[in-house]
Amino acid sequence: MSLPILVVDDSAMARKMLIKSLPADWDVEISQAENGVEAIEAYRAGKAAVMFLDLTMPILDGFGVLEALRKEELNSMVIVVSADIQPVAQERVLSLGAIAFVKKPVSSELISTVLKQYGVI
Amino acid sequence: MSLASLSNDQRDALQELTNIAMGQAGASLAALLDEFVDLSVPRISVVELADLPPALASLVGKTNLVSAVRQSFQGYLRGEAIIIFGEPGCRALADLMGFEGELEESGENELLLDVANVLSGACLGGMMEQIRAFTETNGPAELSFSMPSVMARQVMAEQLIDPKKVKWSHALLLEVNFTIKNRNFIAHLTMLMPEEGIEKIRHITDEFLAAF
Repeated sequence: MSLPILVVDDSAMARKMLIKSLPADWDVEISQAENGVEAIEAYRAGKAAVMFLDLTMPILDGFGVLEALRKEELNSMVIVVSADIQPVAQERVLSLGAIAFVKKPVSSELISTVLKQYGVI
Repeated sequence: MSLASLSNDQRDALQELTNIAMGQAGASLAALLDEFVDLSVPRISVVELADLPPALASLVGKTNLVSAVRQSFQGYLRGEAIIIFGEPGCRALADLMGFEGELEESGENELLLDVANVLSGACLGGMMEQIRAFTETNGPAELSFSMPSVMARQVMAEQLIDPKKVKWSHALLLEVNFTIKNRNFIAHLTMLMPEEGIEKIRHITDEFLAAF
């Protein structure tokens, strides 16, 4: 069965860039969300075994999503994908339960490295 | 679509390009001040010049007093970077930079210039990096900057720019802001580009969109 993954970013182009950088032979079913609230809904609907999560978003940002998911006993592998490259931002998302931080712009090398590191592919 | 507007896709691409660039600016500011900096979602609009003062005011807050630094850039893109500081942020800045006691106006100006320089340099530099990486540019895609100068101290945002003194008909207005929550600090980085800049941005964003 395909793995449900969720791509969360307010920018359609950023979602496209991310999806294009996923391994071509990875058997996944991709859903997309434009903000944190949509992301949580999709997560609850079981669409996010793996979540690629942007930080800077309207309505509810990526930090907010991580906090909300933690309250629901975070049952998803969250990879934060962000342009916010402050070391404190990275520490904060990891302490909130994200497994990894990938900086934008993404590349297929960066994404594959992380996925392999965590045994997802 | 009027000549001076952007399609939704172009706007989205420009927003993402700006978002990536501002990440670097935010990290530079965080390093300079040793504080965590919250980044905003970039805001983009195309405005007629007469509408620029109220447009700036609505981005920055109509009732707030602000100080601002301007720096022009030219080369691959041409325009003005205007860095607008909320008034409490100006005072917080002196604290953050480790100055004690009252700071004279010249000293405060210097702080504003330093911070403005870091923000506009990192942000525009980051944008150019994206442009070089993802589009085919003719010739070297470089920018040069003028020396930054303090354009206003403690004025209403609406008074920052006199449209009569600018020869553009439209402007592309890009805004991002950097907030340090527990210090009451906010700096808005706005970038203004004239008509031909809008045309160029449309071209750049189309290339971006085609690349993905």
